[in-house]
Formats: sequence, C-alpha cells, structure tokens
Amino acid sequence: MRAVWILCGKELRVTLDTAQGAVVAVAFLLATGFFFGSNLFLIGQAEMRGFFSVMPLLLMFFIPAMAMRQLADELNQGTFELLATMPISTWQLVMGKYLAILLQLLMLFALTLLYPASLALLGNPDGGAIAAGFLALMLLASAYSAVCLYASALTRHAIIAYIIGFSLLFAMFLLNKMAATLPPATQDWLTILLPFPPFNALLRGVIGLEQVVYFVSFSIFFLALTCFQLERRRWR
Amino acid sequence: MIRVENLCRQFGEQHGGEQHSGTFAVRDLSFSIGKGEVVGLLGPNGAGKSTTMKMLTCYLPPSSGQAWIGKVNLSDPIGVRRQIGYLPENAPSWSDLRVIDHLRFLGRMQGLSSATLKDRVREMAAACHIEQVLHRRIDELSKGFRQRVGLAGAMLHDPAVLILDEPTTGLDPNQIVEIRQLIRSLAVQKTVLLSSHILSEVEAVCDRMMIIDRAELKAMGNSSELAALASAGAQVEICVLGATMEALAEIIELGEVTWQQLAQESEAIRITARHDDPDAPLAEALFRAVVKSGGVLLELRPQRISLEDVFHRLTEEAQ
Repeated sequence: MRAVWILCGKELRVTLDTAQGAVVAVAFLLATGFFFGSNLFLIGQAEMRGFFSVMPLLLMFFIPAMAMRQLADELNQGTFELLATMPISTWQLVMGKYLAILLQLLMLFALTLLYPASLALLGNPDGGAIAAGFLALMLLASAYSAVCLYASALTRHAIIAYIIGFSLLFAMFLLNKMAATLPPATQDWLTILLPFPPFNALLRGVIGLEQVVYFVSFSIFFLALTCFQLERRRWR
Repeated sequence: MIRVENLCRQFGEQHGGEQHSGTFAVRDLSFSIGKGEVVGLLGPNGAGKSTTMKMLTCYLPPSSGQAWIGKVNLSDPIGVRRQIGYLPENAPSWSDLRVIDHLRFLGRMQGLSSATLKDRVREMAAACHIEQVLHRRIDELSKGFRQRVGLAGAMLHDPAVLILDEPTTGLDPNQIVEIRQLIRSLAVQKTVLLSSHILSEVEAVCDRMMIIDRAELKAMGNSSELAALASAGAQVEICVLGATMEALAEIIELGEVTWQQLAQESEAIRITARHDDPDAPLAEALFRAVVKSGGVLLELRPQRISLEDVFHRLTEEAQ
C-alpha cells in the first residue's frame, strides 16, 4: 500500500505544481457555478437537485481530461518503463494512478461545498439530501475515473485517451436515455449494468449497500481491464 | 551474478506453435556475468540489445528460457527488480518534476527510508555531478544532465546489478569520460551490464563484451579474445620508395601474404600486407623484402586489429 500512496503523491504533486490543476479547478467552478446559480435564482428554492442532476453530463467532460495523461503520457515519454521496473505490481501502479484521480476529484468537490454553504445562508436546505447528493457524486465520479483510466491505458496519446474516455461515458449515457425505447429484457439489463440508475437512486435518498457495492464493482471491473491492458502491452 | 540460459523473445504471433526465425527479437541467448564485472552489449541498431535488457529487468517477459539475477529467477519480477538499477534508453524522466522530487520519488518507490534517502540523493547527486540542478525542473535540463539524472536514479537504492541502456548517449566528450570513470569505480562492488554501439566506449569501460547481431549472440570475450575470434591475423602498413608491390610480393620470404596498395605518394607507395597468422613475423619479412628489392623504407607500422574490424566482420558475416 505504501507504494500506491507514493505514486499517488507524485501525481498530485505534478497536478499541484503545474498550471494544469488550477485550470481544471477554475473551469470546473465556472461550469458548476453556472448550473447551481441559474437553478437557484430561476426556481428560488434552497436545494441542489438541479446541480446534482446535471453532474453526470458535466463530469463526462472533466474526468476524461483529468485521467487522459495518467497512463498515456507515461507510455509516450517512456517513464512507464521506469514505473514498470520498480518493485511494484501492475495492480499497485494502477491503484496509485486511480487514487490520484479520486483525490483530485475530492478536492474539486470540496470547492463546490461553497454552494451548500451559500444555500445555508439564504435559506434552510435539506442537509441529508445534499449529503446523499455528494456521496452519489463521488461514487459516480469514481466509476467514471476507472473508465477513463482504462482509456488512458489504450493509447500513447493523451488526446486520443480523452476522446476514447468521453466516448465510452457518452455511449453509456445515451444507452441510458434510450433505455425506455428498448425491449423490457434489455431495459432490465441496462438498469443493472449502467451507473445512472443507482446514481439516481442515491440522489432520491435511497442509500443502500447495494448502490455502494455496484459502484465499487464497476470501478474494480475497469481497473482490472486497465491492468490487463498494461500487461498485454508487454506481450506484443 | 547474472545468469542467462537460452533466453528467447519473439514478437508477433506464433503460427500453430511453429517458430519463425524472422520473428525473434532475441534468440537462444546464454551467458553469465560474475560479480564486479562490467560487460558491454554491442550490436547494430535493432540487434536485440534493448530487448535483452528489458527481459532482464522483467519489463518484457521472455518467450522461453531462464535467467537469474543473483539467486532470483525472472519468474519473481518484484524480487528481481529490487536487485537491479535500470537506466532505460534515452533516460526517461518526469519532465514536470524537479530533479530532487524525481530522485526522491524513485528512492521511495524502491523502499528507501526518509533518512537513507536524503543521504543517498546527496551522494548520487555528487557522484553524477548534478548538485547544481537539483532544484530545477527536468524539462529545463540539457540532454547530458537528464542522462546523469537517470543514472543517479538507477543507482539511488544501491542495487547489486546495474543495467544501463546506452548510458552515454547525448553527453559531450568530457561528460562521457566522467561517466565512464563513474561506471568503472562502481564496478568494484557491482555488476554492470551496459549497451552501446560506440565500440571505443565499450572497449574503454568493459572487462568483457558481447556482440549481438540479428537477435543472436555472435561472440563474447575481452577485446583480444574477440580479435582472435574474428581471425584477425597480423597486418602491417609500409611506405616505400623505389619498389613495387609486385616486386615485394615476389621477394618476401613468407607465404600467404595478402597485399593492398593504399596510395601513391609522389614517388613512394603505401601498402598494407596481411597475414592470417597473428604471430607471423610479418614486419621482419617486409623489412627484409624492401632491403632486398633495393627500395627505401620510409615508414613501417604494425596495425592493431581494431574492435571496429572485429565488429564489422562478425556482424556482416551473415549478410
């Protein structure tokens, strides 16, 4: 576990030392601020439902950007060879990278705590619903991160990794939207496989072990695919 | 310290289990290197040098064969990696990091404690002459500095075996000399395997060398053993006045001499004579022949068969 944290620390250092982290944070606050503010003043209610419901789409643009360099750049610059010849396993390597993305997301979400704080000043928001919303957000973000980390392992080019990551997430999003038009059996499968039904359940305040287990398994599946992809590169 | 037995690496697909010679990156490689030895891996580009090193560092899995680093088999990659310091080709590094952060990261990943790490970073920075750039970002550094940062990183955890893929590319002549001295000084306690296509470098630094060409080991030994292997023979260059090559060839009291006229310098001619037996008294025989022919010997220079010749002969034989 020590190696995982050391690797994660290095990634965070790169993000914080360069302009990249600041650029993402500013863009994220601008975008989320717009959706939070417009809803607040149009509806005039001290709640964040509008903000949370737009997040699955918004994160589709941000998370691929945060994950695209993680493995693609290492492969491109040859530093992957340095990492892969350290006394660590591929799984530890992938976990270090994954945790680094999650911690960056946690920092971004921490910035958005400004919104519920301002709501508390204006009115009397439902604290429980907002807490459930943030939990849902973090779990969905962890699933997105795993998908985008996998996309980053598929190519040496960060920009291609972005496009693959975004396309995978967007395809899932579209499938979810189309679900109503599909045969019932397919609908059932999509409800089980796609991350949006459990996300919406969490937003409604249905917090069960089921949803948490779903998101953890979803992430593990894509992280395992990432490991598999990295191992496969060595056999080519 | 390093023992390799029949190591093979194929790329592409195997067709129905059959092995095609064209698809081998490394084929049937066997050698062993003892503690404290510096061994050079020589070969043209694409010969399989880097692939060999990548297999020994457990970056690429071998298709077949075995290797041990110390007592650890390649089947235990983490055990192997703990024992080696590896400098990949072109010395990759995280260009966004400062040199000191890069080194600290590598040290921590190798399991060094904070106290040891601090000392080791200082020692290695001094050994590789990178103290003045420790707090600079890597993308601001010249190729030479990056190469030395890579070398410092490879040695940070004081590994028993160093595997260096072209350690002196991109360095200026002074830096090359420094790095060579550094590698030589390390060799007392460590086993070093380095690759290069600069022959003089390998000759200057290494105790032994291996010549690899088209995935196969062609020869291994020190420079005189290799020269003998390439059937180098004896070679003498002379410059004579008032004699012809044909006349000398007739007079000389030594059989099987091959002649080659290099140049005509006003009245004089410059000739090389070669004899397959390296112990043949070629210089003596040539001197006598010139005297007998009535010519004047202006210059006589026995030529050492260079490693370049050996290399050319061994790697071009198959073509």
